[in-house]
Amino acid sequence: MAGATIDHLVSLTIFLAAMLLFIGFFNQMIQTAVVYQQHRATATKCSDLLDTMLLNPGIPKIGEPSVFGLQDTEFTQYTLNSSSLMRLNSSTGTPIYYEKTGTMYSNVTVGFGNSLLMPINNSLCKVVNYSSALNLLRINGAYGFQLTLTPVVTFDIEAERSDDNVELRIDVRGVGFPLANAHVSCYFLPVSLSGDYPDFLPAQATEVSTNEAGNATVTFPLEEGYTYVFLASAQVGGLAGVGFYVPPSDNPRVIPFVDDLSAKSVVLAHSYDVPNTAGSGTLAYNATFVFWNEHFGLQTVAMADSTGTVTSGAGGNFSFVTIPSGNPGVLLVAYGNGAAGGVAVLPWGVGSLGFPVVFGGSTAGREWVATDMRQVIVNGVAYQAKLSLWSLQGVQVVG
Amino acid sequence: MMRSVEILLVIIILTGAFIIASSFAVLPEPRQASPVNLRRLALTTLQMLDSNHELSKVAFSAVDDPVWSELQVALSASLPPDVIYNLTVYEVDSSGSGAALYQYVKHVSNAESLGVSSDASSYFVASSNVTFTFTPEKIGGTLYILNCSDANGWWITGYTAQSLAEDLYKLLSPYFVKTIMVQSTTQLRQLIDGVKISGAPEESVENAVIINTFGESVSMPEEYYQGHSRSSEGYDASAPSGYGYVKYCYTLGQKTREHNWTWASIVGYPFYYVSNTGVFAGEQNNWGIYGMRMTSQGGVRAFLQGLDNQQYQYNDSGVISSVGVVTLNETVVNYCNYYGIYPSSYQTSTRALSILSGYNLTVGLYVFNPADGNYLPGAIYNHVFSGSTNITGSLLALGLTRTPDIRITAISLLSYYRPALYPSKYVANETSRLVVLQLGLVGGV
Repeated sequence: MAGATIDHLVSLTIFLAAMLLFIGFFNQMIQTAVVYQQHRATATKCSDLLDTMLLNPGIPKIGEPSVFGLQDTEFTQYTLNSSSLMRLNSSTGTPIYYEKTGTMYSNVTVGFGNSLLMPINNSLCKVVNYSSALNLLRINGAYGFQLTLTPVVTFDIEAERSDDNVELRIDVRGVGFPLANAHVSCYFLPVSLSGDYPDFLPAQATEVSTNEAGNATVTFPLEEGYTYVFLASAQVGGLAGVGFYVPPSDNPRVIPFVDDLSAKSVVLAHSYDVPNTAGSGTLAYNATFVFWNEHFGLQTVAMADSTGTVTSGAGGNFSFVTIPSGNPGVLLVAYGNGAAGGVAVLPWGVGSLGFPVVFGGSTAGREWVATDMRQVIVNGVAYQAKLSLWSLQGVQVVG
Repeated sequence: MMRSVEILLVIIILTGAFIIASSFAVLPEPRQASPVNLRRLALTTLQMLDSNHELSKVAFSAVDDPVWSELQVALSASLPPDVIYNLTVYEVDSSGSGAALYQYVKHVSNAESLGVSSDASSYFVASSNVTFTFTPEKIGGTLYILNCSDANGWWITGYTAQSLAEDLYKLLSPYFVKTIMVQSTTQLRQLIDGVKISGAPEESVENAVIINTFGESVSMPEEYYQGHSRSSEGYDASAPSGYGYVKYCYTLGQKTREHNWTWASIVGYPFYYVSNTGVFAGEQNNWGIYGMRMTSQGGVRAFLQGLDNQQYQYNDSGVISSVGVVTLNETVVNYCNYYGIYPSSYQTSTRALSILSGYNLTVGLYVFNPADGNYLPGAIYNHVFSGSTNITGSLLALGLTRTPDIRITAISLLSYYRPALYPSKYVANETSRLVVLQLGLVGGV
């Protein structure tokens, strides 16, 4: 009798232990499958959302958008509106405050002194922030995302100045490989710093081809007392990209801030006033507007009231200039104070200078991030649009 | 002991079940859980490469042309390093000879095989030698465009009547059996008299469309000048000082009815001035423009009296309202797509007309949506006598503010007459090629 009882107890204990163990095994298998399904759903949502963003025109030049879309209404398929891209609050550059306008500016930057600064809270054309985009996409609380638009063709330009010329070494690369045998159109705009205002001299143009490594070298004559800005476009096999170079300067400079997209107005500020006044000085400036035509030749548009001065300090002034064209292009502002000067560039439309755009939240620390990508066109320039998407609804993995 | 054996059997069964279930529940690679949409990436790559029609040019190049290597560079540069590709171009055989539909032309690739997973998209490119044409249906009747060299325009600021006439000719002449420029007020007088001015057999004065490119001013033959041979049909001596030439507008209304014309006023207040640089050489329109006289608000009233065959009576009571921003009617918007003419759908109207009562007019087409009660910013009015179903004259009045957009005139007339467009048949061989881009992933999991 005792033996049967012991047998019963032992067998029951083993049975319960085995059941618990197998429940755990099967649970892990099911959990893994559920997680896989959730990841798969996130990936599908990522692809759908990316198409939603790229194939819907939504963000107007002025006013609040009703949907989050970046497509250019004048074109079809994956051609994006550069004005809409300008209105995305950059999540990489540090926002910049300008005391004299009392405005915080979103900062899309490709390096020191080369930024696209958009007003964050201007009532007419404030940037679209991440939380607004989540609401417009109807995914608030469900997903987070980061949208990255990177030019396919990137330029790395180095300059070496001698007494009477400037040698520019150009390295053109694609996403995957160097852009070998590409046709590069080069435009060199010398700026005279003598006189009351800086003066743009006629552009010097030349064409070169890159070698197998994507490199090319061009030389332009330039005397003392002049500065310059260099713009280039590269094309090969239907792929196009643009780049630029301005000599770096430690001197006071003019900083262009976008004031109003629809009115096409730009604020020119003295760098000593940004963010707060930290010195006094006056800079004379001369602005001009250039844009790429459909064959990536550079066209210049005359500007009214293109010259003036900006003064830092409590009683100093900033200036306005108005973009003279409806085309996306580049505002070039030559500045100087007699002794030294330089050129500030402002892309009017991110594609004009191949500026990248990063918009949305950070992917750091996310458990699973789905990504998808498309090739898009912005102002005729090839970009790669990549969307990273993650679920905010908690995915727990057991075991 | 038996129970332990039974439990052992249960464990064996459960273990077996787990092993079998595990063998079916194979965990996928992370790449399969979150795949890059290679099909979409391939399609957008092809679209990007063809954004300037460069891919189309390459696809039709000779197979040993260096542009193929440029295409390979572009593909390698635009795709991520872990993506391999194979681009193949096929000739589309549309000869119907029974041969293979697609014939291989050439391919470019950067790998022998397409890796662990691949997908493809296809894209049609057309040869630059191909032209696609449309043959429009012809609207019956003749289109006359006033291009009188001896008259001046008003409210066509920035243009001349002659430049507008030229643009209208380009836009509308394909749709009419015959389009004729009325080069002088003398030729206009011939039309008024029902006389052909070109000698072409297709010309017909009856049922014609006449577009007045002179804005608020209308050209006047010299015979209607005060004291000249047709003064009684052109000048009303009893009208208030300076506005006597309203009688000429009355005559135009009569002739519009008699010849069943469609008179098109492209901008502003219709018939507000009359112009002839010869007889009015020393007279001006109260705004300093010589060669022109003002008829003011009585002009359109007189025209409508003539159109409705009423007794002429000077009447200068206003018929317009400034209604501000107006929108194109939905019907017209639809025809914008059909005819490929795209004026802005938002316009400003400061001369919207209210003329539907008193002149037997019905609306043949709302060009713009009605605004501010009975005022119509733009419409084609048909004159139909009470008890009749026949149209006896029409008026297209676009009461927009200056300067005129003649595309609105063109789309108004096309939306009213609605000529069909017949696309040309596409039967040419070797004019279309299929480009297939296969993408694959290498490396990683």
